[in-house]
Amino acid sequence: MTAAATGDGRVEAGGATRYAGTRIGRVEDPRLLTGRGTYVDDIRLPGMLHAVFVRSPVARGRILGIDASAALALPGVRHVFTAADLNPDVREQWHTSVGPKSPETPRPPLADTDVRFVGDPVALVLADDRYLAEDAAELVEVDYEQLPAVVDYTRAAQAQELVHEAHGSNVVGQLAGRPAATLADVFAGAAHVVTDTIHQQAHTAVPMEGRGMVVDYSASTGELTIHAATQAPHEIRLFCSRLLGLPEHRIRVLMRDTGGGFGQKVMVQRDEMALMLVARRAGAPVKWVEDRRENLLAAGMSRHEHADVSMAFDPDGLILAASIDFVSDCGAYPTPWPVGTSAAVGMLFPGPYRVPAASFTATTVYTNTAGRVAYRGPWQFETLAREVLLDNAAREMGMDPAELRRRNLLRTDELPFANPNGMTYDRITPLETFEQALEMLDYDAFRAEQARAREAGRYLGVGMSTYVEPSTPGYGSYATEAATIRIEPSGKVNVYIAGGSTGNSIETTVVQLTADVLGVAIEDVATIQGDTAVTGFGAGTAGSRSGSMTAGAVRDTATILRERMIAIAAHKLEAAPEDIELVRSRASVRGVPGASVTVAELAATAYFDPYSLPPGVPAGLEASARYTAETRSVWVNAAHVCTCEVDPVTGGVTLLRYIVSEDCGPMINPSVVEGQIAGGTVQGIGGALLEHLAYDEDGNPTATTFVDYLLPTATDVPVIEYGHIETMSGGPGGYKGVGEGGAIGAPPAVVNAVADALAPFGARITRLPLTPESLAALVPPEALR
Amino acid sequence: MKPAAFDYHAPGTVEEAVALLAELGDDAKVLAGGQSLIPMLALRLTAFDHLVDVCRIPELQGVQQRDGGVRIGAAVRHAQVGTSPEVAAAAPLLTLATPLVGHFQIRNRGTLGGAIAHADPAAEYPAAALALDATMDIASPTGRRTLTAQEFFTDLWTTAMEPDEMLVGVTFPAWGGRSGFAVEEFARRHGDYAIAGAEVAVELDETDRVRRCAIGLVALGPTPERPREAEAELVGRPVSEIDPAEVGRLAMAGLTAVTSDGNGSADYRRRVGAAMVARAWTRAVADASTEGAA
Ligand SMILES: Cc1cc2nc3c(=O)[nH]c(=O)nc-3n(C[C@H](O)[C@H](O)[C@H](O)COP(=O)(O)OP(=O)(O)OC[C@H]3O[C@@H](n4cnc5c(N)ncnc54)[C@H](O)[C@@H]3O)c2cc1C
Repeated sequence: MTAAATGDGRVEAGGATRYAGTRIGRVEDPRLLTGRGTYVDDIRLPGMLHAVFVRSPVARGRILGIDASAALALPGVRHVFTAADLNPDVREQWHTSVGPKSPETPRPPLADTDVRFVGDPVALVLADDRYLAEDAAELVEVDYEQLPAVVDYTRAAQAQELVHEAHGSNVVGQLAGRPAATLADVFAGAAHVVTDTIHQQAHTAVPMEGRGMVVDYSASTGELTIHAATQAPHEIRLFCSRLLGLPEHRIRVLMRDTGGGFGQKVMVQRDEMALMLVARRAGAPVKWVEDRRENLLAAGMSRHEHADVSMAFDPDGLILAASIDFVSDCGAYPTPWPVGTSAAVGMLFPGPYRVPAASFTATTVYTNTAGRVAYRGPWQFETLAREVLLDNAAREMGMDPAELRRRNLLRTDELPFANPNGMTYDRITPLETFEQALEMLDYDAFRAEQARAREAGRYLGVGMSTYVEPSTPGYGSYATEAATIRIEPSGKVNVYIAGGSTGNSIETTVVQLTADVLGVAIEDVATIQGDTAVTGFGAGTAGSRSGSMTAGAVRDTATILRERMIAIAAHKLEAAPEDIELVRSRASVRGVPGASVTVAELAATAYFDPYSLPPGVPAGLEASARYTAETRSVWVNAAHVCTCEVDPVTGGVTLLRYIVSEDCGPMINPSVVEGQIAGGTVQGIGGALLEHLAYDEDGNPTATTFVDYLLPTATDVPVIEYGHIETMSGGPGGYKGVGEGGAIGAPPAVVNAVADALAPFGARITRLPLTPESLAALVPPEALR
Repeated sequence: MKPAAFDYHAPGTVEEAVALLAELGDDAKVLAGGQSLIPMLALRLTAFDHLVDVCRIPELQGVQQRDGGVRIGAAVRHAQVGTSPEVAAAAPLLTLATPLVGHFQIRNRGTLGGAIAHADPAAEYPAAALALDATMDIASPTGRRTLTAQEFFTDLWTTAMEPDEMLVGVTFPAWGGRSGFAVEEFARRHGDYAIAGAEVAVELDETDRVRRCAIGLVALGPTPERPREAEAELVGRPVSEIDPAEVGRLAMAGLTAVTSDGNGSADYRRRVGAAMVARAWTRAVADASTEGAA
């Protein structure tokens, strides 16, 4: 770590500098912006071999035979491994956060008897370079008996063919809340009932860096080193130790820069297991870098789902009940068990509204497509379905959609509030963020502009959405986070935390927080992350937890050292500890000019002059502590407001303004917060308008390059405007998680804006993505001109 | 996504290049900017043992005024086409179309000849070549020949060139008088191949009647299309009496092979195509009207 955070912080009353809350320049920027990041493909080890998977070209089939002789005959090809070679080495296979007892889908690292989706890994070729390995992969002959595939997930439950025969059904699992029948009277007696079936298309994370791994086993020491593109280096180590039966402390996992994860890189998948399994057999280090085509074929799918949703309202538009029957496609090999996440869709469906009664069912089915993986806000469908339904309800009732929300959004004086599914929200500001976002837009002015535009034959629309989200899970392996801080003998500071940053800037925020607690200048603090050899266990980046959890770890650890520095300074300066203040790496006696000592001098004493330390103060300035979350989750909320223009002829959508008002508590670094919101929002816009991981009816993927998988680019996204409301959480610093929310709030805001623009045509939108053709179809040719 | 091994050749003259193509036969392919060919090789959708890079041949470079028009070497990059004053003067449709071809990185490498030889019906330059009656200078081991754009584009990604032939340059005749030009296309995102597009050139006489007009259609058939019947109907009419929407309808009327694919059905493409023609017509006429009477 060489780069330092840049910026001056904020000078507070009394002269102390505070870095948290300011837009300190990112520690990561100098290396990333000059193209000097270190990704998995940048790792080059002597003698390293290159791995390429042979992947199934059929969606469902039986493997009748594999002939690798032609591939092996190619000069430079070292090994071709199949399931028969690798799978028997598996000892245990489970993810730490899920535990060994979860009813997981059996996951053969390489396909053994059956292939279950196009892209299913069947064999692994190792060669001297990637080109040769790809040549050889083409020469591996696999004889498949092709079978009819289960592709349409809406019919999977009834299908004759089974994705996993041993499971006995294509239904992975089903969970339900209160039975819908018990709400029948409420719906029957309501002044208004609105019902829709809302469909979301398959799309997923597509990080700029695909998955990847370099495995490097030393037979002489029995040590395995893994370089990985990951969100969770410690989880890779634990998982690998169980998989191979290698003791955890013989494995070292290193991650430097990871080019995005968004959930796809939280958990070890089958391809990565295969890499771990070849490590001891290859006789050389092995690199696998997933290319774009593989990433779109095999790294996983998300968001493919639909639901029947209903809401009942009283004559004033107050919500009486909400119900959702949710069905999600989890592909062939979901990672992890998908049923819990799908139940979260049901439990969170009431959202930040005063919903007195609710029911849900959540059904998850297998298909012969890429397996479902987590994607930024994995239960995001609850917000999409609820917010689209609310707009449809407003139109049906002839009410303004902002007014409908305003009447139903929770007020702070009603908190804590238990939603009917037992989720208790607290310390959130749904109404405040909503009003702030509308004010930033100047909602009334936009409505007037919209009316004028319609006169002129132009179709503008505004869409809004609000959500509440549990961040920072406080249970199981997620419940703690550790930090080690060493104030080195020179007075320079190093902070060690588990890491797992895939762009979420924890190198910067950790440095800010540490400098604040220790009272040292920010340029004196560096951080080391993502190396399991020198950092304590941490579950990595997931569940919008990194900022809020590491804040606790840093606070608890740095406080120990701060007290120790004060004790030494007080002793040296012959003052009372209460009178010592630490500002910009110097300890001084309050009110006594000139009575001061630098942190470097304190460190020199602590390490090199231990006998002059005050009694009871240990030598050195090093400490470790582990923070334990105080609550099961930290609630975060936001409101999104978007405006657009739709061309009624082409169906083309131009987003005009995009506003997010969020409450993630006090911001450690507003630029980092806004970067997180922007990234998630852009992904949400992509999901609403462009991205589609499509399959044809035989289960062949049709979007395997960026020609067909359309990501939003700079020209598709307006400047995102941010509003902030800062309500303290109950956790350290009052911080809340902000990693996922943008991706949750954006899709319905975009859908609602487009539907609002096309409202004069009586349009109702219930299916994503909003392709231009699907929108043009809502405007009959005779309605034009 | 790594291509299979190939031998790379970089001949210095057209004669050397076509001799190589003749000698190596089906195992060889011309490589220009590589923006279409290399992705297909990397995805292993196709493979050749030999690539013959034509970008270093002097005869394929440069933009020259010629016979009142402009001759553009086949290896001239899109970026150069888009910024050339000679092109802007003689064939403004190319200048207007260039920013719509992919992204700047692609335009820095992709060549005019490559785009035309690739003959993608959704590409901008082939439609411009057809609309403007460009001529193609083609070389083979036995000599040179010239084809009109009309003769050149024969089918989807298919041209009248033989495997041992190569495109050397393309000549675009200039439009004089009170002429105006416009390109309108609709794509999913900026830089994507169009769902449908129109490239319109129109020349008005002193009485504001249409003296001549040309409409190039993008992504509305297996080849770039030109609705000549529609053009004929418009010639001679006072431009103020022409409803742009009617031009759009006329232009779509004669199309027989509009394709359906993941980006749009044939019906939708016609709807968008008609609108693009109408919009481009409106702008081209406005552009022509600003030119003083000839
Ligand atoms: C992301 C992306 C977006 C794109 N978007 C667009 C777009 O919106 N519109 C558009 O029009 N294009 C688009 N393109 C294609 C781009 O314009 C290409 O550059 C062009 O189609 C081919 O030109 P090239 O010089 O790269 O040719 P190459 O890729 O080198 O060759 C293409 C084909 O033409 C043949 N060929 C090339 N030169 C000659 C010659 N002189 N004689 C005979 N045969 C020859 C080659 O053998 C090959 O078959 C896009 C490309 C990419 C990668």
